Amino acid sequence: MKSTEYNYDIVRSFVNWSVLWGLVAVLVGVIVSFQMVDPRLNFPPYLTFGRLRPIHTNAGIYGWGVGVIFATFIYMVQRLCRTPLWSPKLARFQLWFFNATIIASAVTLLMGYTTSKEYHEMEWPIDVMVVILWVVFALNIIMTIIKRREEHMYISLWYMMASLVGVAILYLVNAAAVPVSLFKSYSAFAGTNDANVHWWFGHNAVAMALTAPPLAMFYYFLPKSTGVPIYSHRLSIIAFWSLLFMYLWTGAHHLLWTPVPDWIQTLAMGFSVMLIAPSWGSVINGYLSMNGQWHQMRENYLVKYLILGITFYGLQTIQGPMQAIRTFSAFIHYTDWVPAHIHMGTMGWVSMICFASIYYLVPRIYGKKLFSIPLANLQFWLILVGQLTWSFSLWIAGVLQAGMWTAMNPDGSLTYTFMETMVEMYPYWWIRSIGGLIYFVGVVVFIYNLVMTVRHGEIASTEAAAEGRA
Amino acid sequence: MWEKKPILLLLLATAAILVGTIITVVLPFAWVNTEADRIETVTPYTALQQEGRDIYIREGCNNCHTQTVRPLVAEVLRYGDYSKSGEFVYDRPFLWGSKRTGPDLARLGGKYPDAWHYKHMASPRAMVPKTNMPDYGWLSANQLDPTMIKRKMDVLGFPYTSDELYSLADKNEMDALVAYMQKLGSDIPWRNAAATTIVGNLKNPYADSDHSTLEEWEPLYEENCEACHGEHFEGDIGPELDGASMEDTELFEIIYNGVPDNGMPPFAGLGADKVWQVVTFVKYYNQGEDH
Amino acid sequence: MDLASILYLGVTFGLFVIFVLIVLRTYSKKRKDEGEIAKYRMLDDE
Ligand code: HEC
Ligand code: HEC
Ligand code: HEM
Ligand code: HEM
Repeated sequence: MKSTEYNYDIVRSFVNWSVLWGLVAVLVGVIVSFQMVDPRLNFPPYLTFGRLRPIHTNAGIYGWGVGVIFATFIYMVQRLCRTPLWSPKLARFQLWFFNATIIASAVTLLMGYTTSKEYHEMEWPIDVMVVILWVVFALNIIMTIIKRREEHMYISLWYMMASLVGVAILYLVNAAAVPVSLFKSYSAFAGTNDANVHWWFGHNAVAMALTAPPLAMFYYFLPKSTGVPIYSHRLSIIAFWSLLFMYLWTGAHHLLWTPVPDWIQTLAMGFSVMLIAPSWGSVINGYLSMNGQWHQMRENYLVKYLILGITFYGLQTIQGPMQAIRTFSAFIHYTDWVPAHIHMGTMGWVSMICFASIYYLVPRIYGKKLFSIPLANLQFWLILVGQLTWSFSLWIAGVLQAGMWTAMNPDGSLTYTFMETMVEMYPYWWIRSIGGLIYFVGVVVFIYNLVMTVRHGEIASTEAAAEGRA
Repeated sequence: MWEKKPILLLLLATAAILVGTIITVVLPFAWVNTEADRIETVTPYTALQQEGRDIYIREGCNNCHTQTVRPLVAEVLRYGDYSKSGEFVYDRPFLWGSKRTGPDLARLGGKYPDAWHYKHMASPRAMVPKTNMPDYGWLSANQLDPTMIKRKMDVLGFPYTSDELYSLADKNEMDALVAYMQKLGSDIPWRNAAATTIVGNLKNPYADSDHSTLEEWEPLYEENCEACHGEHFEGDIGPELDGASMEDTELFEIIYNGVPDNGMPPFAGLGADKVWQVVTFVKYYNQGEDH
Repeated sequence: MDLASILYLGVTFGLFVIFVLIVLRTYSKKRKDEGEIAKYRMLDDE
């Protein structure tokens, strides 16, 4: 079949840059982790924990996560629609504007220009840049879908579209602020209202950036890697609508026991538990697609990443609803348990899927065979061990900490002072840092493998190579 | 239907997103921060305090500190009265936080004297040897900018006087931060209400301890008192302690409930048993080996 | 029952009906082939 003239050029650029930002995110993660065990590593005013931590989180979510979203969406939309990208020029602009936005974010955060709202720290001029970026991206994807040459829209396209509108709505509402100067603004909402709006944003950033897009990738790259179709397209559709509908109710599970009205908290709790169903809809769909294909877990490193990724997603979406229950929240909220939850999601689920997607893409967009499959397997074990070390140490730490915070003497007084509980965290924070280092080495191996593939990889089969040059 | 019509799918997706959004995010504006939430004694930030708040935000203190006390037994004991919606009506943005690497600060105001904060911010490890809080002494070197602060107050619509702004010129960022911290959570008079009245006869269960037992309790003093009363009771932020001159019960009352208006924090959170140990240590340690 | 509870139950029930309708529609026999076609089409695009 004569293949369409897909635009891979831009996909290559997005892959390269997102990988770079991924490296930065993980590196800064390791730095802040060591700052927590040794405060002498703070170098004021710029390099203190308070300023670096938001750089870590934003580089992780927006530089790495969204960077890979840009790369994979632009690739998937062309293949699934059997048509070239609507506007390559616009995509080029998007690439450079994306990098400018990430750099501007990092610089302003270092300078201390921040709104303090988690995952939305950047001040209003950068909000404006993000909005431009997203509109340009959404327009390109949607126009490509509209002029598609394949009538049926595969489920990945659905998740992509949902994420496009979802992010737009969330970001705009939560960005509402009154500027004082170029680098300072005050939120349009106050106190409890601000908290409620913000965590509606915060949790759905998880939904629209760290759930729907990786699901779109998973639904695409799993069948592509195994060569067998997804188990049930219709199941994925039911899961899609339920997920989309339910996620938006759950923001207040970050605000249990706070002054936010009780009924909002209760709704958030209920919907969080119900979310298990659509989340597991996708997990089960993934597992059942492996029917008769489980041997590929041994033979095909891509499948290994993807299935481990969806497994972490499955665990994440059981643990999350648990944390959303009032009694459990009373115990673990504010403790180190929560970062363990977060990193199973980001280092396990999101990053595993991103690594797999990039491993799948690189040979195809560069027309070269992967430099080394053993290295890809080595990376798999490094990041798996790194992440498990990270999360397990902090789950234990979190439970311990929660236990000590709530421990009471028979006479009704507290058993431990705050510092007595805090010093107990140090060993676990050390272990976490070491887990982070192992993960970091994994990422370095990944990048080495990619660079060697691009530089010295064998030219792949003529067909793939031809596609690569197209 | 929508399987083949992307625009329709986008519209339906938007609708699905909006239902939960409207119910849990838009509607609550009708109930939150309304008259029903208002607390008479809660006042807007002064120019100095607001600037301190902005420095708190700039330095990302919220990455380690939360500012909400939940209505849970252990939490109220540790930090103070639980937070009420009406206390936050002037907070733009909210600073409740999500992680307690350090303790909650919602009820910090009035817990320590100003001098404690200056010393602690400059070098947390000088006060609390094992803390991982960064040093912020460099804030003292930065003067405030009254013109900018005026613009901020205007945007927020908080009242201020020109004298107030004028006086900012010779203040630095540390002054502002400390002023902000002293305001936190102190708009409602919870501290006096929280003081525990001790019922029944007070009797020191450790009155007859020997000197080696006293030494076992020394860490309690070092961790909780030394920063203010000095290594050898000589005094620093707090007065010199002359334990021998005081009654056991008197000491117990002061340490257990503190002297909130004069900067001596309450240590009820340690539990009566440990407080008695500290009492015994403070009273008898200096009375020599022969005790 | 006051108006609030009736509204509440009504809305909940309405949502449930919409959900059931989506499930019924997606899984109707008529659409069996139609509903699953996309997953095969996406595989043979090379
Ligand atoms: C790396 C995390 C971290 C950062 C960042 C941090 N702190 Fe702390 N903070 C702590 C820890 C841990 C403690 C408990 C030990 C101590 O008193 O130092 C603490 C204690 C405090 C206390 C004493 C509270 C009490 O009730 O005893 C205050 C006040 C305080 N911090 C203010 C701040 C301010 C203001 C900032 C920002 C300029 C800040 N902290 C930044 C970790 C941090
Ligand atoms: C934040 C600093 C601070 C800490 C920590 C502190 N104190 Fe004090 N303490 C003070 C101040 C200030 C006063 C003076 C109160 C007044 O003027 O009424 C005081 C007064 C006292 C007094 C009464 C002294 C007198 O002569 O009237 C005693 C006894 C005392 N503290 C014991 C302790 C003990 C024991 C601890 C540790 C468990 C402790 N303090 C921790 C600041 C502190
Ligand atoms: C080697 C890898 C990593 C290390 C060592 C690391 C380390 C850390 C540390 C130390 C914190 C602060 C936790 C605290 O305050 O107690 C943190 C927070 C966070 N990290 Fe990472 N991280 C890594 C990878 C990632 C990746 C890849 C992502 C995203 C894609 C990510 C997203 C986040 C987020 C969202 C938070 C905020 C947690 C919160 O709000 O409580 N991290 N990380
Ligand atoms: C059904 C799905 C999920 C539910 C119900 C859920 C629930 C929760 C809850 C209740 C918290 C707050 C914990 C606390 O502070 O006490 C939380 C935090 C968090 N979760 Fe999940 N979770 C889910 C899935 C995910 C996934 C897939 C990710 C992907 C990475 C994720 C990332 C995060 C992050 C980043 C935070 C930290 C927010 C902060 O800064 O405090 N979650 N989640």
